[in-house]
Amino acid sequence: MATRGAAFQHAVPTAAGAHAPAATGVWSWITTVDHKRIGILYGISAFVFFLIGGIEALIIRLQLATPGAHVVSAETFNALFTMHGTTMVFLAVMPFNAAFMNYMLPLMIGARDVAFPRLNALSFWIFLIGGLFVNASFLVGTPPDGGWFGYTSLTLRQFSPGPAVDFWVISLQVLGASSVIAAVNFIVTILNMRPPGMTLMRMPVFVWMSLVVQFLIVLAFPAVTVGLIFLTFDRFFGTRFYDVLAGGDLHLWQHLFWIFGHPEVYILVLPALGIVSEVLPVFARKPLFGAPVVIYSGVLIGFFGFGVWSHHMFAVGMGPVADAAFSVGTMLIAIPTGVKIFNWLATLWGGTLRPTVALHFAVGLIALFTLGGLSGIMHASPPIDLQQTDTYFVVAHFHYVLIGGALFGLFSGAYYWWPKITGRFLSEGLGRLHFWLLFVAFNLTFFPQHYLGAIGMPRRIYTYQTGMGWDGWNMVSTIGAFGIGLAVFVFLVNAARSLRGPRTAPNDPWDARTLEWRTSSPPPPYDFETIPPVYGRDTFWREKYGDRRGRKPVPLPPAPDPHGTHLPAPSTWPIVMGLGIGLGAVGALTSLALLIVGALILVLGAFSFALEHHRNPMHEHQVGSIGLDHRKLGIWTFLASECMFFGSLIATYMAYRGKSVVGPYPHEILNLPLTTVSTFDLLMSSLLMVLALDAITRGDLAKTRLWLAGTALFGLIFLGFQVYEFASFVHEGLTLQQNLFGSTFFVLTGFHGGHVTIGVAWLLTLWIMALRGRLDRRDAVKVEIAGLYWHFVDIVWIVIFTLIYLVP
Amino acid sequence: MSQPRPQAAHGRPTNQTGQTGHGDPAGHASVTMYLQIAVILGIITALEFGSIYIRQLTPILVPLLLVMSAAKFSLVVLFFMHLRYDSRVLSVIFTGSLLIATVVVLALVTLPGDFLLFSR
Amino acid sequence: MEKAAAIVSCVTRPAPGRPPVSVPLAVAMLAGGCAWDGPMSTLTGRSDLARSTLYLYGIVTWATVIIGSVVIGLLAWILFRYRDRPGAPLPRQIAGHSLLEISWTILPALILLVIAIPTMQVIFRTQAPPKPGALEIQVLGKQWWWEFRYPSLELVTANELHVPVGRTVSLRLEGPDVIHSFWVPQLGGKRDVVPGRVNRITFTPDTPGDYPGQCAEYCGTSHANMAMRVIVDRPADFEKWVATQKATPGEPAGAAAEGKGVFTKSACVGCHTIKGVSAGALGPDLTHFGSRQTLAAGMFPNTVENVTAWIRMPTVMKPGAKMPAVPMTEAEAKALATYLVSLK
Repeated sequence: MATRGAAFQHAVPTAAGAHAPAATGVWSWITTVDHKRIGILYGISAFVFFLIGGIEALIIRLQLATPGAHVVSAETFNALFTMHGTTMVFLAVMPFNAAFMNYMLPLMIGARDVAFPRLNALSFWIFLIGGLFVNASFLVGTPPDGGWFGYTSLTLRQFSPGPAVDFWVISLQVLGASSVIAAVNFIVTILNMRPPGMTLMRMPVFVWMSLVVQFLIVLAFPAVTVGLIFLTFDRFFGTRFYDVLAGGDLHLWQHLFWIFGHPEVYILVLPALGIVSEVLPVFARKPLFGAPVVIYSGVLIGFFGFGVWSHHMFAVGMGPVADAAFSVGTMLIAIPTGVKIFNWLATLWGGTLRPTVALHFAVGLIALFTLGGLSGIMHASPPIDLQQTDTYFVVAHFHYVLIGGALFGLFSGAYYWWPKITGRFLSEGLGRLHFWLLFVAFNLTFFPQHYLGAIGMPRRIYTYQTGMGWDGWNMVSTIGAFGIGLAVFVFLVNAARSLRGPRTAPNDPWDARTLEWRTSSPPPPYDFETIPPVYGRDTFWREKYGDRRGRKPVPLPPAPDPHGTHLPAPSTWPIVMGLGIGLGAVGALTSLALLIVGALILVLGAFSFALEHHRNPMHEHQVGSIGLDHRKLGIWTFLASECMFFGSLIATYMAYRGKSVVGPYPHEILNLPLTTVSTFDLLMSSLLMVLALDAITRGDLAKTRLWLAGTALFGLIFLGFQVYEFASFVHEGLTLQQNLFGSTFFVLTGFHGGHVTIGVAWLLTLWIMALRGRLDRRDAVKVEIAGLYWHFVDIVWIVIFTLIYLVP
Repeated sequence: MSQPRPQAAHGRPTNQTGQTGHGDPAGHASVTMYLQIAVILGIITALEFGSIYIRQLTPILVPLLLVMSAAKFSLVVLFFMHLRYDSRVLSVIFTGSLLIATVVVLALVTLPGDFLLFSR
Repeated sequence: MEKAAAIVSCVTRPAPGRPPVSVPLAVAMLAGGCAWDGPMSTLTGRSDLARSTLYLYGIVTWATVIIGSVVIGLLAWILFRYRDRPGAPLPRQIAGHSLLEISWTILPALILLVIAIPTMQVIFRTQAPPKPGALEIQVLGKQWWWEFRYPSLELVTANELHVPVGRTVSLRLEGPDVIHSFWVPQLGGKRDVVPGRVNRITFTPDTPGDYPGQCAEYCGTSHANMAMRVIVDRPADFEKWVATQKATPGEPAGAAAEGKGVFTKSACVGCHTIKGVSAGALGPDLTHFGSRQTLAAGMFPNTVENVTAWIRMPTVMKPGAKMPAVPMTEAEAKALATYLVSLK
């Protein structure tokens, strides 16, 4: 490690002096905004949820070990597999990924933190609240039992009365919010926090895969959010979205769910593939073979991931054309996936393979993920899929992908990065025991399930009769499952022993290639003493060994560091907002008053959050490595997500056009002249908005105040039109519950109106700040991002106006 | 999945901060231009409203309305949201997402056979 | 370890082994004499639909087993060949090789073509509209039992579907409550029963036999207990079965007559149809209840004892069962059961 640079010597006392860098105690963890601490919090919470989900799996396996067993009741079994799936997907693997991304992304790209440290804390607390909330359903005796995929109409109030499914619906919304917030944050971090020289193609593959995953989250979650909104409204307010008798279509939920659900598979797996792409080169002591191809194939997998969702629906009766199209799309995904595997093999080829535990897990992933991928090719053929879907063959397939792929990759990462995170080593001996136990037990559990599926054992059955030929292998599978439990226990012992041992890990114990190994183990709160310069891919390796011809880079002066070593101050508002959401969620199931209290805490928390660092000079300059302000890049990424949100709402309206079985129908009550006027009003508000931005950029504060107020006023006028329209529709008999038109119309325009309301509140806040002299030229970017949001709401209305009001 | 274009490779580290120089949040459009665009937006809205009542336009009404809507959409995005003057990264993120959203919407609307777009 | 378990399972399996249909799949699974022809095996096709799937299955299994063996074999060889040896020099730092990478992009694409083309053929062949002359049967999936209606024969039955061998059958799948999935593996792939939609399965059974099936889409509490069986009869047997089913059952005698009295006086008539006795619609048609082999959608043999227990405590027998326990004495229940079982 280089000696402490002069920049650092100066930076610490001046910039970071106000915030003690290594605060301890519970409170410091609650208010922390340090990406490393948040990463650790994610990791520990995920592990606890992982253990809960694992115990659920063991009970499931006990019940299925023998035919006709009575370990648990049918109801309990159904709840267990629902919660096992929900937990492992949303509360274990996703936050494990988030843990590594939080801890490692900034280190790997040579940054001091994520772009929005407080938003990062907010994501974590919302995630934790959502996870605790859905598990609290066990405590009140009504765990969700509609399956992790929650197919309607089974999950409607009619067939699932009681709060069980409510717990699931609400917590999924909460977890989705957490994921999208985190995704925007990571995208801005990766694009905008890179040090000089770190071009996109020089980023480590794990960073690339994380970037792809975050875009998948941003674009995939809104679809399920919309589906869940419909389900929530159907359950709580009696809307008709999934009401077959009112003309609703049950395929709608499945489409919305799998538009999210398929990219979700890549959200779970791609980070692990990224980890393996880091681990293999280090322990083969060779660069990743064809790194650009590995990166592009990851991007392609993500991109294709949006075009194949309906392969989860081959049995629902979409017709031969859709089946054929989605079949071909699905097969195409095999190509970039295969490329990755061949590139990994070529990375190992000719290397010097140091058999560490991390390499064991990485190699285990290659083998098991290959098997999972190959059974996936079978399902890509719809006729075969019709025999395999909803059988144990599919259970085997996706466990090969999600344990063999995701979990093996995560364990590989855990052994690889443990010394960096803790400063200590995990025992290689116990680690090998862990690996071999897991590898054997995993195959013992899941390989026979291929056979069970092939001879006809369906999924999600709590019992089965003897005489089907399923008995023996189910017992084997159960024995294997307990072996997996034992393997995880070995890991726990290994971790506990390590944490009680001395800190012996040097900075770079593996002779690694990427930047995180350039700083101390564990890294200081400010990550790097000086921002490391980047010479190329595997820049740290080049510093040590030189390039292919052995030429070492000429040492450069420390890269300029626009942010100094300023460390973000701890903040209480993230957890306050999280608690507001938690109270609101509890209130949704118990009392309206509590719901309102929760919402108020959330709103007040949000205001305090937003204004906390107004006028803090450290927060003024947020222009990053692509020359954009973090906040601006962030809002655009958020708007990308909103495209999918409103897209799904509009698609539903379009799909349900003319499907209402009773009136009133659109042509009977839509008031075109009135809406044309309100549309004009909203368009003109956008004009005032750009004028406000123009004024504040020029420093003309009087005009700024005028145009801000004008924009807000025009927004309020639009809302007034909408209130009048809604009231007159209700008067004419069109309510949320009346027919499909009412449900789709009010929910679509209502959510648009909600966005306008938030926009008005935002603008009025800025206006009041301007009136009180707390807004000037330096805050132009704050007006700009409010404006971008406002214009987006405007363009959504342009689309709504055409598709709903104008098109006959 | 849309990814921003890789930047030009740097042989040696350079300070990229402020390189692309979009610090000016108002972009390059002038107030006059904003006013012109607002007028155009108003006119298109009036045309949209009017075209509904012109019987001769019925056969091409739907495509016509879609084109007018797309024009308004683009004007707001390009000028009011000043994407035209802003970083390419933002364009890639937004248009890429919009593209995926559009494809998904079209698929959703047309996939169930009897759901054909504008069938009724 | 797995081998030992294989033996365990083979000891417990009911039917004697038959040569596996899909040889490579058998190889890919565990060697040894495991049965590939269980009652719900997907690998023993007994209709044109199931056989066309098996044809594809064969192609895809060969392809995947070969690819899998090559990859895993290569991986194993690399791990052995390039294991770390003491004093090994730093390996050459090779960053990539374009030609190699292009070739292993194109090769999988070619293999996929081999799978995709027959897949497309089978999709369009198996989902073609049924030929005229097919026997149309309406299948209603309900929580948690199956109703089968033969519009052309004016027959209604539950949980046991009779079809004649060699004649094309076209199932119209409909449902009133939640999504179910009709699946009889030996006769072909599954198809969901989606409320508000009409789905179809068309197949021509080619071997007489008794084929168990089960709901394959999670549908609530007793999803596991929503079995059915398809009995493929020889044409003459089918005609005979149709004739019996169309007949109105005769007047019962003895305990059964007493049971009929219990039936007509209780709430049973509100939900169940017995031709000439009652016309309920919510529960299964019981006109020829005694002719069915099982009770409660494949859960129990259809005996007087089981039916008695079922009448007295349906939700104990079948979790979540929608049938209420109609209050009656043990003796009444037994008489009723005797009557029902007598309805051949």
